[in-house]
Amino acid sequence: MKTRLTYEQRRNFLLTLFLIGIVLIALVARATTLVRLTFPELVKDSSAIAHVRCLDSQALFENGEIWTDTSFEVLESVKGNLPAAITVRQPGGKLAGLESRVDGTPQFRGSEEAYLFLAAQPGSRLFLVGWSQGTFRLHKNPRTGIPTVTQDSAEIAAYDPQSRGFTKTGVRDLRLDIFREQIRREMLRQVP
Amino acid sequence: MRATRKQILGSIRGTLCLLASVSTAQGYAFNVIVPDVRQPFSVSGGSACPVRAHHPTTPGYLAFRWSTSLGTAPTTILTQDQTPSGRLNEIEQIIQQSLAVWTNVSGTALNPSWLSPLTRVSAQNACGSDGINSICFNQPDMGFTPGVLAFTRVIVADRIGIQVGTGPVATELGQILDADIYFNPGDTFVTFATPQALAANPKSYDFESLLTHELGHALGFSHSNVWSAMMFPFAPTPGTFAGARPTAQQLDAPLSDDDRTGLRVLYHDPSDSTYVGSIQGRIVPANPLSLPAAPPGVTGIFLAHVVATDSISGAVVAGSLGGWSCQSPGPAQFDGSYEIDGLAVGRSYNLYVEPLNGAAGPATVTNAFLPLCRNSTTDPGWPPLQSCVVPAPDLEFTARTLP
Repeated sequence: MKTRLTYEQRRNFLLTLFLIGIVLIALVARATTLVRLTFPELVKDSSAIAHVRCLDSQALFENGEIWTDTSFEVLESVKGNLPAAITVRQPGGKLAGLESRVDGTPQFRGSEEAYLFLAAQPGSRLFLVGWSQGTFRLHKNPRTGIPTVTQDSAEIAAYDPQSRGFTKTGVRDLRLDIFREQIRREMLRQVP
Repeated sequence: MRATRKQILGSIRGTLCLLASVSTAQGYAFNVIVPDVRQPFSVSGGSACPVRAHHPTTPGYLAFRWSTSLGTAPTTILTQDQTPSGRLNEIEQIIQQSLAVWTNVSGTALNPSWLSPLTRVSAQNACGSDGINSICFNQPDMGFTPGVLAFTRVIVADRIGIQVGTGPVATELGQILDADIYFNPGDTFVTFATPQALAANPKSYDFESLLTHELGHALGFSHSNVWSAMMFPFAPTPGTFAGARPTAQQLDAPLSDDDRTGLRVLYHDPSDSTYVGSIQGRIVPANPLSLPAAPPGVTGIFLAHVVATDSISGAVVAGSLGGWSCQSPGPAQFDGSYEIDGLAVGRSYNLYVEPLNGAAGPATVTNAFLPLCRNSTTDPGWPPLQSCVVPAPDLEFTARTLP
């Protein structure tokens, strides 16, 4: 006999799965240049969290290095008070015949939407916390139309030497409302 | 799919015939750039086909220096020897050992004579776009946000004749003009330990593993999707190390065959007659309607992971990213082509193909596929006939083998 779950039950089930994911994240520390951040750490280390839409990118030379400034329209500030448009800086870029490459930095395409976890560095510049870990891209399920988010670093699997298999961790195809609820809960939990 | 020696040799002939004008997707995976064809032919070569980032293989060409400025809060690099000079010697020994891992692979042009002697510099901020390859342990950088352990900045030339700082002038397209490796000095929870000090500091990251991996980036590698590869995008967990330690008998022991094959392709030794085998093909869907409608012109699966295994031992010999080819003057065509070079002749190989949604994913190899195209949106004034748009990676196909 099939049992239909109520909306509340489904939401709680998804939240439970999400929490299991968070625990898994905490167990591994992987990626070539990155140390895995737990979701609470991501929220805590971010001075701002925002739903943004990519406008454009521009490379520039500053402090002897090439950087890429990507400007975003802020659709909603989830944490912190951000202006209507922000610029996020990342190492690397293409300028005057030179291409400065840094593996692991997220790249954005025009009009793409994402939730970004941001840290302000000296000079009030905004950077992505944990690079790919602080980038949650927004997708719409083509069949249901339900918006979901996937963390860039969620593609990176963890090798389990006991099972000799890989486990994907991080946030993958999580329903947007669940994701937002999780951020809200974590922010509330972290209020001193 | 199975390739015999005959088939491989047949592929070699095909490769030689087309070598002058055709390139295809090759994996392991490499950092690629498209030359700036808006520039005169004499400096751009006139072709919008992607080229691999690399260093020239002139003896003594590659020089590295390292900054002896070490963090104190916390001590970034933990060593067994605590004396000031002993500490520096221990770190330097590991740097030299890590460089030797990459210069002692048979069948490549990268032999120890390619390296200039490692030098020390006392300046704290020795890393920068100055044309000098440097390794820094105590240099703050805006790129370090929470969770970032270390990274490598590689500056590549997309035209001949340009220069970074006092470094060499680019004489080759795709020439690496500067490669700096930064270890995070500012995170109080992150330390690195030499192999000698790792057992006593199990919460530290293995310095040798991370440095060897970062040096791979400095040589032009992106990431590999073969989990046993040094260029696999995972650091070992604290207190552990990746692969094996180098030994006097096998200096390149930390590398996997996938890393070695990639190095042989990237820095081919023209005098080598062993690792000259090549397997090529195309990956196409059974139903062409499953191909993306945009961008136009996609005729094969893009960014499939193609892996060659030794048919006897089953060991992974090389993994490659398939999906494109390019014939001068370009641009890249997304026809599902792949090519695995640098294979030992006289052996049989099995191939398998899988979507890039397993051990690693597209986000870990962006430098190997996002720069395949340039167009008027990315580069104003780019000639339309040499423009293209990189399609989204195809992550959901199932593969079957045709006889």
